[in-house]
Amino acid sequence: MKKKIWLLGFFVVSAMLLAGKVLVVKVMRSNLLSKPDFLSGSLAPIQKGAKLELIETQGNWYLVRNAVGLKGYIHQTAVGESKTSLSGIMPGKKGASDDELALAAKGFNEGNEKKLRGSKDYNFADVDWIMDWNIANAALAAFIREGKLK
Amino acid sequence: MKKLLLICLCFSLLSWKPSINLSKLSKAKKGLELVSGAAHKISEEEEYYVGRAVAANILSQYPLWKNSEVTRYLNLIGKVLVLKSARPEIFAGYHFSLLDSNEANAFSAPGGIILLTRGIVAMAENEDELAAILAHEIQHVVTKDPLKAIKSQRLKALGTFAAGEAIGSSNQVLNIFQDSVLDISGTLLQKGYSRKQEKNADLQALDLLAATGYDPRALLAMLQKVKAIEKKKAKAFSAHPSASKRIAYVEKHLATGSLKGGDSSRLARFKRFVSRHRN
Repeated sequence: MKKKIWLLGFFVVSAMLLAGKVLVVKVMRSNLLSKPDFLSGSLAPIQKGAKLELIETQGNWYLVRNAVGLKGYIHQTAVGESKTSLSGIMPGKKGASDDELALAAKGFNEGNEKKLRGSKDYNFADVDWIMDWNIANAALAAFIREGKLK
Repeated sequence: MKKLLLICLCFSLLSWKPSINLSKLSKAKKGLELVSGAAHKISEEEEYYVGRAVAANILSQYPLWKNSEVTRYLNLIGKVLVLKSARPEIFAGYHFSLLDSNEANAFSAPGGIILLTRGIVAMAENEDELAAILAHEIQHVVTKDPLKAIKSQRLKALGTFAAGEAIGSSNQVLNIFQDSVLDISGTLLQKGYSRKQEKNADLQALDLLAATGYDPRALLAMLQKVKAIEKKKAKAFSAHPSASKRIAYVEKHLATGSLKGGDSSRLARFKRFVSRHRN
């Protein structure tokens, strides 16, 4: 019995030490990609705040593993280092992050935008029209090919 | 087995972090960082909300031209450039649109909302020249130049609130938000960036154009058109340094660098764009 406990302890500690650095997605949405290339296939969509385990770095790209164990690539500008432990990757974790708390304490947030809506000095309706524009990867790839761009 | 236990204990101690609550200390540190650090300490999400408000402010002064086909074309060119930029991922992505104004100007709000007037777009004679305007504006976003227009006293005040050293009322915070937005709008619409910021945006735009396969010389061509307009005293790139100075360092960079030109295969689709733009 004692031997089993020692072994269990050994594996737990080893797992902690071998665990990769944890990254947190800082953009509203991104994708876990099949290759280190924005135009490669998306393996899974990723939302802000998602935690990813860093496996390795390839230039400006990270090979990561998400909460369900899926491996894929994400650009380094989409993520920051998480201050939480690897357990933060696990689904179901609730509560505001340090960044969210800091944001709530400051003034550059959605709450203050709402207060400005309706003012003649701010036309948010047209901003929303602009933000609705999204270009699909397939269309972008075709545009690059047609224009002999890189 | 005892040795194994000792090793496990040593590893555990090495990986152990104190569990005492240091939240007050970290908040104070964050506040101090804001006081001393300026724009780079603003998070991606904050940049996004400031940028939306800056764009909303500009759009209260300039009407938006809601032409779907032209806006789509502009977004395609912009996205091609963004993918090769140093900051391809931004909180809600880059977005490009047109202002229904004959004035020749272009604005980059924080968070990647880039607005071009119909006047500046009409000056472009091919897709590469249009890309040159966008590349310059994208570089301002990449280096967070718009955020640097926020007066340091505002960030100091917000840093103080964040540090918990004082509790700002919601009106105080709203005022700081609005003042920050107006700092940026004022820089974009009137004051302009510093010469150094403009030079950096121009030179980095040359590299970005080359990286995507657009002809970097297109920027030079656009600047020469701006110079011609400046002579007529029109309000062209009014917030920028003189076109002559910009042409001088762009020419120097092109002469010494190994940048290569693009080709003319994009002319057909540009002609389609022009026919829609002029309608």
